[in-house]
Parts: sequence; C-alpha cells; structure tokens
Amino acid sequence: MTKRKFNFLFVLVIIASLLVAIAPGAAQEKTDIEVWIAFVDFRLDWAVDVANKFNEAYPQYNVTIQEYTDYEPLLDAYTLAQEQGNPPEVIQLFEVGTQFALDSGWFRAVSEIVAGREEIGGQAVAFDDIVPVVSGYYTIGGDWSSVPWNTSTPIFYANTNLMEQAGVEAIPTTWQELEAACEQFQPLKEAGTIAGCITWPNHGWFYEQWLAQQNELLVNNGNGREGRPSEVNLTSDASVNIVQFHKDMYDKGYYVYSGVQRDWTGTVQSFSSQQVPFIMTSSASAGGITNSALETGFDVVTSRMVYDGEVGWTGNIIGGATMWITAQDDPAVEEGALAFLLYFNNTENAASWHAASGYVPIRDSAITLLENVAADNDLGWDIDNKTRNALPAGNWFELNPNFRTASDQLGESELTLATAGAVFGTFVETRNIVTQAIEDVMLLGLDPAERLAAAEAEANVLLGEYNQLYVE
Amino acid sequence: MYMISPLIVVVLAALVGALVMAYHFQRRQALSLTLGAAVGAGAGVAGALLVMVPLNFCTFEAERQALDFIFGVVLIVIGMAIVLIAANWLVPRLVRRENLLAMADTQHGAFRAGVLPPLLFLLPTLGILGLFLYYPMFDTFRLSTLLARLGAPRSAFICLDNFTRLPADPTYMRSLMTSFSMAFAIVILALALSLLIAVMAYQPIRGARIYRTLLVWPYALSPVIAGIIFRLLFNPTAGVLNYVTGSLFGVRIPWLLDPGVAPWTIILASVWNIMGFNILFYIAGLQNVPSDLQEAAAIDGANAFQRFFRITFPLLSPITFFLVVTNTTYAFFDTFGLIDFLTGGGPVGSTTTLMYKVYELGIVNRDLGKAAAQSLVLFMIVIAVTVIQFRGSRERVTYGA
Repeated sequence: MTKRKFNFLFVLVIIASLLVAIAPGAAQEKTDIEVWIAFVDFRLDWAVDVANKFNEAYPQYNVTIQEYTDYEPLLDAYTLAQEQGNPPEVIQLFEVGTQFALDSGWFRAVSEIVAGREEIGGQAVAFDDIVPVVSGYYTIGGDWSSVPWNTSTPIFYANTNLMEQAGVEAIPTTWQELEAACEQFQPLKEAGTIAGCITWPNHGWFYEQWLAQQNELLVNNGNGREGRPSEVNLTSDASVNIVQFHKDMYDKGYYVYSGVQRDWTGTVQSFSSQQVPFIMTSSASAGGITNSALETGFDVVTSRMVYDGEVGWTGNIIGGATMWITAQDDPAVEEGALAFLLYFNNTENAASWHAASGYVPIRDSAITLLENVAADNDLGWDIDNKTRNALPAGNWFELNPNFRTASDQLGESELTLATAGAVFGTFVETRNIVTQAIEDVMLLGLDPAERLAAAEAEANVLLGEYNQLYVE
Repeated sequence: MYMISPLIVVVLAALVGALVMAYHFQRRQALSLTLGAAVGAGAGVAGALLVMVPLNFCTFEAERQALDFIFGVVLIVIGMAIVLIAANWLVPRLVRRENLLAMADTQHGAFRAGVLPPLLFLLPTLGILGLFLYYPMFDTFRLSTLLARLGAPRSAFICLDNFTRLPADPTYMRSLMTSFSMAFAIVILALALSLLIAVMAYQPIRGARIYRTLLVWPYALSPVIAGIIFRLLFNPTAGVLNYVTGSLFGVRIPWLLDPGVAPWTIILASVWNIMGFNILFYIAGLQNVPSDLQEAAAIDGANAFQRFFRITFPLLSPITFFLVVTNTTYAFFDTFGLIDFLTGGGPVGSTTTLMYKVYELGIVNRDLGKAAAQSLVLFMIVIAVTVIQFRGSRERVTYGA
C-alpha cells in the first residue's frame, strides 16, 4: 500500500470513529462496569474469562477487570479514587474490611438493590443457595451487603512419604496428636533431612481460627454481631492457650518459622521442597500444593486444621473476600454490576472457580454439580492456555479428595457467634497486633498472658479511636 | 476551661519578648530601649499567637497533663524565637532605611523594571515548591494535631496527644534507639571503609581508573533493587551467602531471622549501598591533597601511617564532614527501601526505624494523625543532629590555608 493511500485510509478511520462516538445511543448504550480484583495470577485470567463471556452474552454491559497485587493496595487505590470522585463500580474487599466498608458509606448494600426481587438482569438472585457458613459470615441481620466470591479456610496438608519414613501412622487431628507426631519426626530433623515438623504463616487468621474452634469471641457485643463492639478481648483463656501452643511448638523445635510475618509463599515452598512434612495453610493452595507435590514426586493428603483436643472443636471461620458495589446515582449501573456479580458466582462459575483454585464452592448447587460432573462440561481451567476445559466426568470430590476437606470442615462447623467471625472496624490492625505478639512470644520467649495483655491494650486504643471517628 | 487563661499566656509572652529585645537592642544594635521593648512585646505576642491560635491554646486547658503544658511552653518559646529573630533582622534595617532586598554587600546588577520580572521568573519554581513542599509540610503540622484516618468521614482535634503519648510508647522508644544505633553504625562503617578503599584505589596501580569507576557503581542502584538482590543473597535456606559460609565453614547465619543479626544485615547492605558515593568524594578529595606536603613529611622521616593521620586525614576533613551529614540523612531516611524489602521491620521490630514506623502507621494502618506527628519528630531529630554536627565540627574541620 502506498503511503498516500494509507494516509487516506487513516483519515477515513478517524472520521468513522468520530461519527460512532458522536452518534447518539450507538456507543453509549453500553454500561461500563469496572471491577477491581486483588489477583495477578491464574485467578485473574479466570475472572477475565468469565467477564468476557458475560460481555458476549449481555452486550448491553461492558465489564472490565483491573488487577491489583493484593487486598491492601487495592483498598488504598479505591480510597483515593473515592476521594477524587472516580471510583470503579465494583471492588473485591477482604473479609476483615467488612465493617470498614459498611462504615465508609461508599457502597450500596446488595439487599437494597435486590429489594426482594428474584431476578436481576436475567440472573437468579438465589442467595438461599449460598452455603450457611458463608452466609453466616457475610450477612448481618439476614441482609447481604456484598456478593461473596473467593472463600477459603485453613486446612492441614501432610507429606505421606515423609510420614512413612518417620513411622508416623496417622495424620494428626489435634494439637496433642500433632505434638506426638512431631516427636517422631525429631530423628529426621536431627539427621538434617527436614528443617522441622510443621509450618504455617504467622498470621492472625490462624489465631482467629483457633479462637473460633474453642468457641471464644474476639470482640464484645456478640463478636460485633449484636451491636457495635467497644472492646477487643485478647486475654481470654482460649487466647492465651493458642499463643502458649505457638510458644511450645516453637520452643521444642517443631514449628519452623521463616522469620517473616504473613509468609504465605515461603511456608508453601518449605513444604513443597520437603523441608517440612506438615503445613497448615489456606485451602486455596490445594491445587498448587497438590500439583507441585506431583512434580516433585511425593504424595500429599489434606485433612482438617488441628484443634486443641482438650477443649474440643466448635467450627472454623471462613476467610477470603467479597465483591462490593459502589453506590451510584444511576440505579441501572448498580443493577448491571449486581447482574454481573450474580453471573460471576452462578452455579457453573462457582463450581469452576473451586476446581480451578481450591476455594470453597460457595453454592450448594455447585457442590451437587461437582458431585455429578457430566462427560460434556467446561468446568475445568487450563492455566497455560487461559481457557476453560473439561473436567473428568464423575464425582469431582472422589477423584480429588484433597479438594473436599475445606467444604467438609466448614460444612460441619456449628454456626455460633464465634464461628460466624468477628465484625469490627479495626480488624486489620488488630490482626497485625496479634501477629506481632505471637512473633514476640516465640522469638523473645515472652510470657503469653503478659504479651497479650499489652496487645489487647494497644488494640483497644485503636478501636476506641476508630469508634470516635466513625460512630455518631 | 483553661488552667491558665490564654490572655495571661499572651501577656507573659509579651513581657518576656519585651525584656529580651530591650536588652538586645540597647547592647547589640545601639538602638533605644523603648523601641526594643515595643518591638519585643509585639513579636512575643505574635510568636505566641502563631503557635497557639491553630492549637486554640489547648495545652493550657484544665484537663490536660503536665506534659502537655511543658510541650505548650516549648512551642511558644519556639514560635517567639522565630518571630523575634525575624524582628531583630528587620527592625534595625527599617530604622536605618536600608534597602531590604540588597542582601549581599555587592550589588550584581538589577532588573530595570523593578522586582516584578524576577519574581515572574521565580514563579514556576516557587509554585512547585509551594505545591509539593510547603503545602504538604503545613498540612503535616495540621494533621499531627488530629485523630485522622485515611477515608474516615471526619477527624477529631486531639491537641498534642500524638506527640505527648510518644515517650510512654515502648515500641516508639525502641525504634528511636534502633534508628540511632543503626545510623551510628552505618555512618562510622561507611566512612571508614570508603576512606580505606578510596586510599587504596588512589594508589598509582595499573587499571586504577577502572577500579575507581567500578567502585562507584553500587551507589547507582536504588535501595529497592539493592534490597531485592540482598534478599536473594541473605535468604537463610536458599541464599548464596549461607551456601558459601555453610560449605566453607559449616556455619549458617540467620541473617534475617535473628533479632540480633538482622539489624547488622541492614547495616551491611546500607553501607554497601552508600559506599560508592563516599568513595567518589574521597577520591576527589585525595586529588586535592598537595603532594609537596606529603613529600616534605616523607623527607622529614614520617612513615606512611603518620603521613596519613597527620596530613591526609585532616586535609580531608571538609569532605568527611560533608559525608557525615549526607550519610546521616541517608541512614535515617533512605534505608527505608532496604528495610522494606529485606526484613519488613522485623524480626520482632528489631529493624523498625523511625522512618519505617511512619510508613507502617500512615500507609499500612491509615493512621494519618500519628504518622504526621512522628514524621515531624523525625524531621526535628535530623535537624538537631545536623546542627550538632555543624557545631561540633567547627574546630575540627579545616578548610585549607
């Protein structure tokens, strides 16, 4: 093509696109829905794929996904976007941000948009299909504020080859059994084969799980579910018990601490490189850990998070994030955002999301679907080609027993105020304070009760300040 | 209710200002006593109001603690000092009808159209400084008196609580200690090692120019990149350093895990990072040490050590002094990137410096008020350290001749 011809074409294209932009209706009919999520790996690819499918099926909407590296930077960016008056329509917000989100006044409650309807923009609402432990966490007084998405719970992963080598017969289910098993691993540790018996990220989430297992509340006023909490409680017997357990495990050389708080990747690396026979981490790692074990050549079996056998087990709490809809002047935009989120979490997508990642299937119907996978399906996820593929027909959970543990653990949890999880404005900060206290107790050998008392005072000052700024 | 009424505070400030200025004007400026008293009283009132009107005299409220009262008095003294020094400069010049814009003794030429064109040319610079430096600074002052969170619908005025609570906060006092001891170690080690290397690289050897160029390179790396590289080196299980020490000596050092070792890891990495900068200046300085002095001393029988400590080192003192000031600033402010990527302030807060604490408070915890207050304290500390260094160095630094 000659240069002149090219120039002519270029001008034509510009004129045409200007016309399209000016033409009333043609381009403006599409409702733009920007969604911010905190994943950058295959989970982002999965979300983009679903968004593209939604855009194809519902051409009146244009959903775009913007990725962030983690929950905190996403929330920071959103806060600034709000102050500049240009927020996205939907964001993914971690579970501990729930009270903050409610207090901010930035979001429209999902129940308000639904207003009793059964269907939004062609998508069934069907919130009664959400598994109880998820609805227990995210609903307050029966109302949904946000739409749940990625939901996980910590589970126990065991390297059965190393267990055989050490002569450990059964996967431990309680703290006491764990300590006994760890004792049996000591010769392997002394021989330099392994670095220790078990690891998990030092992160307040695990502390909160153990608190819920013992049916103890983190904050007053029914864990913040019966009224706005005014006090954080870190000095209960259950709380001291948990930190003492950390201290014992660390002092005896059973627990391997990487020295870095919230070290999700480092702990999994230790397990995958067979430096530790046991790890407790999010069920969302089930896929990754099982695959890397397959590559390295060892067998991994998942089981439930260990609990204190002397106190008993009430249940576990979920972790993860939900999708919040920014309050808009135009209700049509809010409805569009909700329609997308309902599609995003419909039965097929919830099942596919679970199979791709290991996050809990959040719908009962999704579990049923996975128990009877048809020969012709597109529920699987091909990480390399970033497309859906087919799962093997049959019962997914029987074919992949490691993916079943999380649902079982949550499904059998008794729903109490403790296992529903705490709701309060300074949850993020309190979690950091607890994480620091546990590190101090382990590395400096401090007394758990004394260190927790200091942590509680610190957390209460922050909660008091928060309430001063947010509560009328 | 006030424990001491604002009126009394202002009257006291006026009295003190009048006394100081009356004395000063009569003795030093050869001006009248009454003029001094009048100017001093005015300046005293202005100084007190300057700091206390934004605070609404809250430090003198009845329900406040003794510490608030002391902070209030100190603030008034600072405010008065600022206005009094300005008045001391301005009033005598006004009385003698001197040209206020003629700052220097010699006039270097002037714009014919008066002061407007030069101001016009300065406007872009002043605009940028005002927008990105002075406005944030004044906003920091405002924020430091508030209970404020990023994204919160409102904020609350809490007087000087963000400051007065600091002495009772053990984690703050600890990070204060950490900052000072780490800065001290970084400055001493960085200067000593750089001087040693600079002297060696200055020797007339083959390829000296190449060595000198290579030695400056570490400075070109940003602390963040350096942090990532060092994390790979210092990784306790998979790091190169532990592989070497492990296979050579059978020792594996917990570089980042042990609260006693981790600060030294940061210090080592910081020293490595800043050394290129120091070496550059020392080599430049060594080139200016006159060789006839060295030769004369050598002929008189001084050995190499004597020549270094009696001649070279004293003649390098201006450079050493400059480097002490810049390295102190580096140690307090610029080690942030290394800390964030290497240790994240841990383990058990052993590498949480004041700067890192401000980041944790302001960015991680969104607590803008406390972060603003602590960054102001850090700012004051670095100014104080620099002033002390300037004063202490007057006799020891020789600027030639």
